[in-house]
Amino acid sequence: MDLFAQKKIQSTEPILIPHGELTFLTKQEILLAHKIFSELQGRENGPYSARVTMEKILTLPELKSNPFRKRICHVFSTSDMKDGSLSFEDFLDLLSAFSDSATLEIKSHYAFRIFDFDDDGTLDSRDLEKLVNCLTGETDDTRLTAEEMRQLISNILEESDIDKDGTVNLSEFQHVISRSPDFVR
Amino acid sequence: MKTPTSLQTARHRKNTRPAKRKTFHYPSDVDKSAAITLIEANISHKWEMETDRASSPLPRTVTALAHFSRLPEANDICHGRDPLPQQSTESVLKEHGGHVDQCEKPSCVGVNGLPLDRHVTQVRHITQLRSGFWQGLDLPLKDTSELVSDLVNQSARARFQAIRSLPMPFSERKIIRNRVNSVKQSKTIIPTNCGQQVSRSFRRFRAGLASARQYLIIWHDTLKDIGGRFGTSVLSYFLFLKWLLKFNLFSLIINFCFITIPQIGYFNQTVLYYGGYNGEVIVSKPGYNMQLAYFFTIAAYLVLCGVSLIYSMSRSFQKNFVLDTGPVSGGAWRLLCSWDFSVVNEKAIQYNKNNLAIQLKESLSERLQEKNKMDLSDRIKHLSLNVLAWLLSLGLAVGCSAGIYFLGTDPELAFSFNHSPNDLTAEASTLLLPVVVSIINLIVPILYSLISKIESYSNPRAKIYISIVRNVILKMSILGILCFYWLDFVPSSVSCWESFVGQSVYRLLIFDFIFCLIGIFYGEFLLNVIGTRCIQSLGVPEFDIARNVLDLIYAQTLAWIGIYFSPLLPVMQVLKLFIIFYLKKISLSMNCQPPKHSGRAAQIQTVFIALLFFPSFVGALSMVAFTVWSLKPSSECGPFQGLDTPFHTIFSWTASIQGPSETNWVWWIFENILRSELFYYLISLIILVITYFLWQITEGRKQLINTLRQQIVNEGKDKAFLLDKMQKLQKERREKASYRPQDYDQTPHFNPNWMNTLPLDM
Repeated sequence: MDLFAQKKIQSTEPILIPHGELTFLTKQEILLAHKIFSELQGRENGPYSARVTMEKILTLPELKSNPFRKRICHVFSTSDMKDGSLSFEDFLDLLSAFSDSATLEIKSHYAFRIFDFDDDGTLDSRDLEKLVNCLTGETDDTRLTAEEMRQLISNILEESDIDKDGTVNLSEFQHVISRSPDFVR
Repeated sequence: MKTPTSLQTARHRKNTRPAKRKTFHYPSDVDKSAAITLIEANISHKWEMETDRASSPLPRTVTALAHFSRLPEANDICHGRDPLPQQSTESVLKEHGGHVDQCEKPSCVGVNGLPLDRHVTQVRHITQLRSGFWQGLDLPLKDTSELVSDLVNQSARARFQAIRSLPMPFSERKIIRNRVNSVKQSKTIIPTNCGQQVSRSFRRFRAGLASARQYLIIWHDTLKDIGGRFGTSVLSYFLFLKWLLKFNLFSLIINFCFITIPQIGYFNQTVLYYGGYNGEVIVSKPGYNMQLAYFFTIAAYLVLCGVSLIYSMSRSFQKNFVLDTGPVSGGAWRLLCSWDFSVVNEKAIQYNKNNLAIQLKESLSERLQEKNKMDLSDRIKHLSLNVLAWLLSLGLAVGCSAGIYFLGTDPELAFSFNHSPNDLTAEASTLLLPVVVSIINLIVPILYSLISKIESYSNPRAKIYISIVRNVILKMSILGILCFYWLDFVPSSVSCWESFVGQSVYRLLIFDFIFCLIGIFYGEFLLNVIGTRCIQSLGVPEFDIARNVLDLIYAQTLAWIGIYFSPLLPVMQVLKLFIIFYLKKISLSMNCQPPKHSGRAAQIQTVFIALLFFPSFVGALSMVAFTVWSLKPSSECGPFQGLDTPFHTIFSWTASIQGPSETNWVWWIFENILRSELFYYLISLIILVITYFLWQITEGRKQLINTLRQQIVNEGKDKAFLLDKMQKLQKERREKASYRPQDYDQTPHFNPNWMNTLPLDM
């Protein structure tokens, strides 16, 4: 996912050097993110300490139709109230993790957390069920039946649960990812 | 606060443990402290095996325990209390004023007198666990100072990359970076301002280059847009096109610089074809041997192409065909991993969701079907249908090739040499061959797809691969017969045959381009109109990636063949690729929809790169090599006229440098090493030995992987066993405690599914 498909940079903000060294984004991308973030906030000055609510973040065109948009906001948010609001630095974290130059470890780490719907550190069968439902759509003809879901989840666990404890933890997830080269996007 | 002896024993045992795994005895009559000790020891030992770091004291064990068993007592172990508590976790934490970061309680000095911040870290780790902020097995356990000291010892570049890759929020990364910087500053006694400034400015320069390069990459925005709307597999077609464009641009540049410009500058003849190049040596200073230049430029370009192809192919193969150990049938998890996050268009996302649902259902029903074995008569029927389809396809390919050969050699129809340029019918007859070849390339793949409808394959991926193989056989047989025709029949019939071959290749490429345009118009635009207006059941046409990529490979093979005979051919190829990119993009947006079976983009891409190498590049290279090595060049035109074979230029050059003593060693190497057979035998033998050796290493590693997998499964069983034992102990303890009814309510209740019902009271 990359937000910088069609836009050009016009801004002349000061160079945010520490941000460039701490994320995988280039200088232009950080300036562009700054601009987008200011627009979301509705004002043009100093968005460094303020937060943008989840609803406003979800109006971004790239996130609007993403099936995991709410989970993404929750995962990257560092707010104490757990409401999914993002500061500018959280926003940069989000963009950095989804950029092309992020390492596989970062991507798989955040993907694991996004898929972990109940935030308990492992993917158990309920997480997997929610994941499949998220990805296959909500209409009746595309939703899987209970029997199919059970079969599918047992297939998944058979493939990826190495220590046979009924859940997929981070190492097992990263192992499956490393065997599946389609993932990196 | 006293540490129970069990914990002391555990810590002591940890420090004196040998490195390899011991078998643990599980005594039948386990009392509680021994059980805890066993669990800790087992888990921390497992820890050392997994992480292989210096064991730091209690927090790691505690959090390890908590991770593997998620017992609420972990916090109490931290406080050095009885591990089977009378209290629940909330009450313990409530004692600390409810703040997870700051432990205000004055009497709390941590475990065994550890300083307060260490204790705070412990509490924070455990409460983070409970609140669900589990960041992975290594990070919360590594104390921040350990991390900082690790980072300080690395080089600057590795340090930046490591800090960036930390899976922490931004603020924590900033804290760590500031700490690292302060440690580094305090460490450097002599201020090396100059060195630091140089490295910093170099780093900034590199970052600036990286961002400037983004502007130079052509089509960057367009490719992102296509990827966003149609997914990664369609994008791979356009990336492949861009890659081919790079090859042709490179060849264009070096051919132009080294062959064409000297020719134009000094000889003033037509430079488009081989025949226009003069073989004389430019005697003016600096001397420029045109023969050698021609030979070496083409050779260098082909060698570089080959090296680059082999490199890309092996890297792609390594990434995409990793060792598949373990249960791989079905690939359910892989299907889920293949969700394309780069797609942002809403309709496309909906489309992908529907596709994924259909694919999941298909794979599930496939698995069910696999369980029903087919009976014998069905299998024979399927097999005979497959054989029939293969026979038909191969028969078509052979028939087309034979037809092209006879058409080419027929003096009436196509082959009229030595005709005057004003004879229009003769001119038109030379176009007959390219037109026929292009029509065959257009129609026969459609026939192949019709043939493949009569047979059924269990695996949809097998169907794609088989159709790719058949199309490759067709195209390569056509090219093969054309090469044979050009190398065998033409030299004996035409005087300046290399230019004739160059012209034929040029015509073939032009007609391929024209038919590609026709294919875009009729194939995609009209089918779209028919599908949406007239026959609704057909639907919008899919973008057939395999067919388009094979067309690109075919054109590139022709271009590589033609390089020797027409050095400026890459100009046309470059223009062609540019135009095709934009036309395909427009046609895609207007007419097509993404393909349904879009998984496995990475593997298909490896297959395409492999196809580009063999048979495409290898075939072209062998044809050019055969021409250079064995064929007699035409005696009236071209840079190699008068020689026996073009390769003889090397001989005359080495003979010329034999004389002067400072270049004698070059001649010696050439004469005694490169031309002797013994050298090649020795090299082949050494390479075979090395290959066998590496193969044995691979086999050994496969066995090692299997053993490790089995070990992980065993560890899981150990863990389950230990937790069972814990549960039994809990029950016994509770029964003993049931004599004190007022405490009964506060003991935690374990149900058998304790793993899934984590009390979320944080």
